[in-house]
Amino acid sequence: MSKHTDVELSSQQMDEQTAVLSIGGEVDLYTVPQLKEEILELIERGVRRLVVNLSDTQYLDSTALGALIGGLKRLREREGELRLASPQPRIRKLLEITRLHNVFDVCDSVSDALKGWTAQGGTA
Amino acid sequence: MGTATSTPRVELKIPSRPEFISVVRLAVAAVANRMGFNYDDIEDLKVATGEALTNAIQHAEGRVQAADEIVVICIMEPRALVVEVCDKGEGFDPEARRRELERGELQEGGLGLLLIESLMDEVRFQTKPGEGTLVQMIKRLPES
Repeated sequence: MSKHTDVELSSQQMDEQTAVLSIGGEVDLYTVPQLKEEILELIERGVRRLVVNLSDTQYLDSTALGALIGGLKRLREREGELRLASPQPRIRKLLEITRLHNVFDVCDSVSDALKGWTAQGGTA
Repeated sequence: MGTATSTPRVELKIPSRPEFISVVRLAVAAVANRMGFNYDDIEDLKVATGEALTNAIQHAEGRVQAADEIVVICIMEPRALVVEVCDKGEGFDPEARRRELERGELQEGGLGLLLIESLMDEVRFQTKPGEGTLVQMIKRLPES
């Protein structure tokens, strides 16, 4: 599948099971396959605690929200978790309209989201 | 002597493919900006239009003769922007979609419909399974 510049995905592995996935740009029906693929790869690599950093995310549509829900479900099946971090006000509004702010842990920053997920794999 | 003034319209015809959704979002944003909508309302229009297009494209797939074009019309009324998204896809049942959402079945299509209805002042659907869909979304300019 060809990549294109509407969305930029970068992941940072914090420890064996913890990673931060940063989404830059816009995720819609066109770019959501990349997001799904990235989340899947991280899970297959053994990530069980995933923070999705939305600080640079300009646009998310329902398919993108669906991809995040799918990631959350897969991780929970593996006793893992997915948290959202630093959503811009527009994105926060969409999460509230869809009531997904009750489904996801939505944190104000990546560091807040990582709290309790220590490098040793335990919880604080 | 005067001439009848018609309501200005901007019409776009796009292939029923995902890569064109952002093109329409930008066009609708430009029209809304021209009309004097504020930033938040412009973003609402972009999201709602994007969701209507996503629905149209997703439901165009799977037809034997896939609907290969979608028509988007921006009607610039004096105090409102009307955005119509028209496809010849398989149609859908908005009530069934709403019921799915109420039952807590988090389907993308249900989320899309919820976003459209939450962000726009008025939404009308003309759709029947097998006969395509017209989604009409209205956003009013704030009272000055």
